[in-house]
Amino acid sequence: MAQNINPHYASSSNPAKQNEDTIKLKDNHAVSKRLQKELMELMRCADKGISAFPESENLFKWIGTINGPLDTVYAGHKYKLSLEFPNSYPYAPPVVKFLTPCFHPNVDTCGLICLDILKDKWTALYDVRTVLLSIQSLLAEPNTHSPLNQQASYLWPNQPAYKKYLDEFYSKHRD
Amino acid sequence: MKVTVKSWTGVATWRWIANDDNCGICRMPFDSCCPDCKLPGDDCPLVWGACSHCFHIHCIVKWLHSQPQQQCPMCRQDWKFNNK
Amino acid sequence: MANKSDELKMYWNKINYAYPILNDTLFTDCSDAEYEEIQQIIVGLGVQIKIRDLILIHTEKYLRQHVAPSFWSKFLKTDEEVKGFQLFKSAVNDLYEAMSSFSPMITRLGILNNSCCDNKPIYGERDVMSGFKQLLRATLLSQLPLDFQVIINHFYKVSFNVFDNAEYDNSDMGEDVMCSGCWNEYSDCNCAYIVKVFHDTNRKLVELTLLERLTGQVLTNFIQQRIELHIQKLCTGTFDVSHIGFLENWLDTTVMSWLTRIYCAGASKPHKVDKDIQNAVSKFKQKLSYYLYHIYTKLRIDQLFNIIIVYPDSQPAVDDIKLCLDKTDLRATLCKKLQNALETRLLHPGVNTPDILTAYISAIRALRHLDPSGVILETVTKPVRNYLRNREDTVRSVVSSLTEEGAGSELAEELAKFAAETDEDLEKEEDWDNWVPDPKDADPKVNGNDRKANDIISMLVNVYGSKELFVNEYRTLLADRLLAQSVINTEKEIRYLELLKLRFGESQLHFCEVMLKDVSDSKRINSLIQQDKNFESLNNKFASNAMILSAQFWPPFKDESLELPEEIKQHFEAYTKSYEALKGNRTLSWKPHLGNVNIEIEIGDKKLDLTVSPFNATLIMHFQTKPEWTLEELHQIMKVPITILRRKITYWQSLGIISERSTDNFALVEGSDGNKSSCSTNQVQEMICEDEESESVMASAHDQREGELQVFWSYIVGMLTNLDSLPLERIHQMLKMFASQAPGTECSLQELRQFLDTKVRTHQLVLQAGMYKLPKT
Repeated sequence: MAQNINPHYASSSNPAKQNEDTIKLKDNHAVSKRLQKELMELMRCADKGISAFPESENLFKWIGTINGPLDTVYAGHKYKLSLEFPNSYPYAPPVVKFLTPCFHPNVDTCGLICLDILKDKWTALYDVRTVLLSIQSLLAEPNTHSPLNQQASYLWPNQPAYKKYLDEFYSKHRD
Repeated sequence: MKVTVKSWTGVATWRWIANDDNCGICRMPFDSCCPDCKLPGDDCPLVWGACSHCFHIHCIVKWLHSQPQQQCPMCRQDWKFNNK
Repeated sequence: MANKSDELKMYWNKINYAYPILNDTLFTDCSDAEYEEIQQIIVGLGVQIKIRDLILIHTEKYLRQHVAPSFWSKFLKTDEEVKGFQLFKSAVNDLYEAMSSFSPMITRLGILNNSCCDNKPIYGERDVMSGFKQLLRATLLSQLPLDFQVIINHFYKVSFNVFDNAEYDNSDMGEDVMCSGCWNEYSDCNCAYIVKVFHDTNRKLVELTLLERLTGQVLTNFIQQRIELHIQKLCTGTFDVSHIGFLENWLDTTVMSWLTRIYCAGASKPHKVDKDIQNAVSKFKQKLSYYLYHIYTKLRIDQLFNIIIVYPDSQPAVDDIKLCLDKTDLRATLCKKLQNALETRLLHPGVNTPDILTAYISAIRALRHLDPSGVILETVTKPVRNYLRNREDTVRSVVSSLTEEGAGSELAEELAKFAAETDEDLEKEEDWDNWVPDPKDADPKVNGNDRKANDIISMLVNVYGSKELFVNEYRTLLADRLLAQSVINTEKEIRYLELLKLRFGESQLHFCEVMLKDVSDSKRINSLIQQDKNFESLNNKFASNAMILSAQFWPPFKDESLELPEEIKQHFEAYTKSYEALKGNRTLSWKPHLGNVNIEIEIGDKKLDLTVSPFNATLIMHFQTKPEWTLEELHQIMKVPITILRRKITYWQSLGIISERSTDNFALVEGSDGNKSSCSTNQVQEMICEDEESESVMASAHDQREGELQVFWSYIVGMLTNLDSLPLERIHQMLKMFASQAPGTECSLQELRQFLDTKVRTHQLVLQAGMYKLPKT
């Protein structure tokens, strides 16, 4: 009898339910294993400018940090994100949101991100690292064709004005 | 002097002949097993797609089940098992 | 006026007649009848109180100036026992007589006092007689000379010698001319006299209520000596009998009857009426029984190390100590002494680790029995744990004794026991009726239940701090065993693995399961490959087998290079080919230095059958083709570092097959001139030698632990980058949660604090209000 199965589940009276739960747990275990590996990998060879770590004891919820890419209007800013992993990870993508307000054509006011690899272009080969790197490069190269933030999209071609607006936006948000 | 070898017991490690060390889906080494398995090798074999990418069989099957289209997660070409 | 004054003078004389003490003498002929009249006079004058107080003042003075000095004047500092005996006797006699002469006056004073009607206590006592005795005692003791015990000592020594002699009399004394009681010749034996004087003196002292104060200490010392001697005689080196009941009985009967006789002046029972004596005796008994427990416990504490070593045979002794600890105040002493004993006798380089472990296990068992709360165990064995932690072979020793069979493998038994017991544990919880608080010396930081719940194996595992490290070491050991043995008892290994799984959880030992499966799979693959046609021709020469390992599940191997002889390489290549054909898409990487080789060496008329390492086999095969090699040449052909070559070639030197001609130049010792070694006796035509390379081929847990703090650091940076600032406890918790997958990463809170503090000092971290964070960049 496996010892790492919660006795609460093990003693469940409904055999069908028990079975279902066991499967779920088993999946959980596999996902944990993969996330542990990702974390280890991330810690071992840290990329400059991106980082992530579980928020608390729950391995399925991480906080990520992205530095605004150099040579862009976002340089010098730091962005916190939340990453939530579904039980079906990595077969389904994590839910990624900006925690730090981000004025960007593809990010809405709630921090939701419009990025294909987090939706239909997701593959199991992506991981926390590639997701964060993709978001970082999204900051540098927004997709102005399908904007979530019309104003940002409109302002984007005029980079000096965009930068001015951005800096004002952040000095306002800092308060 | 004459030396006769009566028997020689050597030690070797086995490995999959693949172009990568780890399964891209579960991140475990190919020579280990997928997270759902306990025993490596025969019990958790690798499979190759026509696109020449390989995965633990359990991982790719699970991936294909989870997707509307049957594509290789590596190259997004249609997935076909390669029986080489 | 004159008349009145004369009258008063006459009265005064009469009062003086009844109370000569007013003139500082004691003697008077005043009769009871006469006193009646005088008493009336006093009452008539209404001066009872004044006269009484005056008498008391004079009595005090008299006692102070005459009685006490004369009593103490006899207390000389003499060395002669008999003289001391006499001096003390006469001192007590004189005192007793003096007091007897006081007695009529005291009686009269009693009457006088009754007429005073002021209810004033006399020296704190209700009646005059007791008050007087109180005064006497106080006066005597106020003048107590320094060496007063000298003659008392003599007195009791002489007397006890007689008693002693009476007690142990019945032995063969026939030839002695001297009485061993009084050291006189038998004809002149003084014993009866001494006994009489002894009882007499004691009686007088009791009457004067001086016995306890004067002789108490001497008596106590003396009896304590006797108790100590008795205990020492009784308890030398035997731990398998409980003595406490016997000792209690001895105290109750022998010692107490003896004491009673002193108090009762020879009678073996106090008079029922005499409450004082009964009280005194029972008080004395309390003192003595405490002393008995104390001495006995102390003795046992001194022997405790030895007691523990032979536990459970010594359980009666441990039971005794357990009982006595409740009655004495020796817990702290016990902890300190035992800790010292463990440190001096066990924790030094001269003792090998398995012995320390055996002692530790015994200690766990014995101390757990002694103190079920586990506190003593925890305190006492702390240095043992610290010490074991620093010994490199601790985990190995524990693991090997866990998996050993036969005698001395207590741990193996313990492991099997655990498997049987796990089910019962649940029921023991929450027994509120029998709840006992932790002892006061318990470490409040440790949960009492944890302390109690720890069984021997977990205590041992905890020595190393982590289950993971322990299991890793087991894996290494298993790996060594599996690779070293040509015939592997897989069944036995699986059985132990199952037991360990119960103990440490399935997931921890999953790797070992795969390792064992590799072994059995290898057997199957071997037999399949042997049937391969391509392989047949090769196998005609010799059989080659392989152990095929799943590298990911085995501990990391120490990497060593070795170039094998050509024919062996051919074998391996053919084997690899067959394997590839058998297992499509898989291939083999050989570890040339691992494995074992069975070779037969014919040298002259000798034949040696040896099982050696691939290194040794390769080496000797090179000497077959060319009888003389320099280390450099061997290095070229075998690709083994020269230092290792030099070390390992000693194997063949010790067999007398190879010798060093000149520095770094080795040659075969052919035929008869090689007859100086161990295998040279002609009768020995064939020898089977075991290659004595018992060194582990795995990197040990210690090696693997290196650099682990660096791994921590990257995790810490990771978490502080994303979570901003965290307190120590959270960091510790997070590391435990997430960094435990990295090899051997276990770190105590204390260790972590130290580590973080060095980072703070080097400005890689900032500590603010108990929170650690990264400095701003």
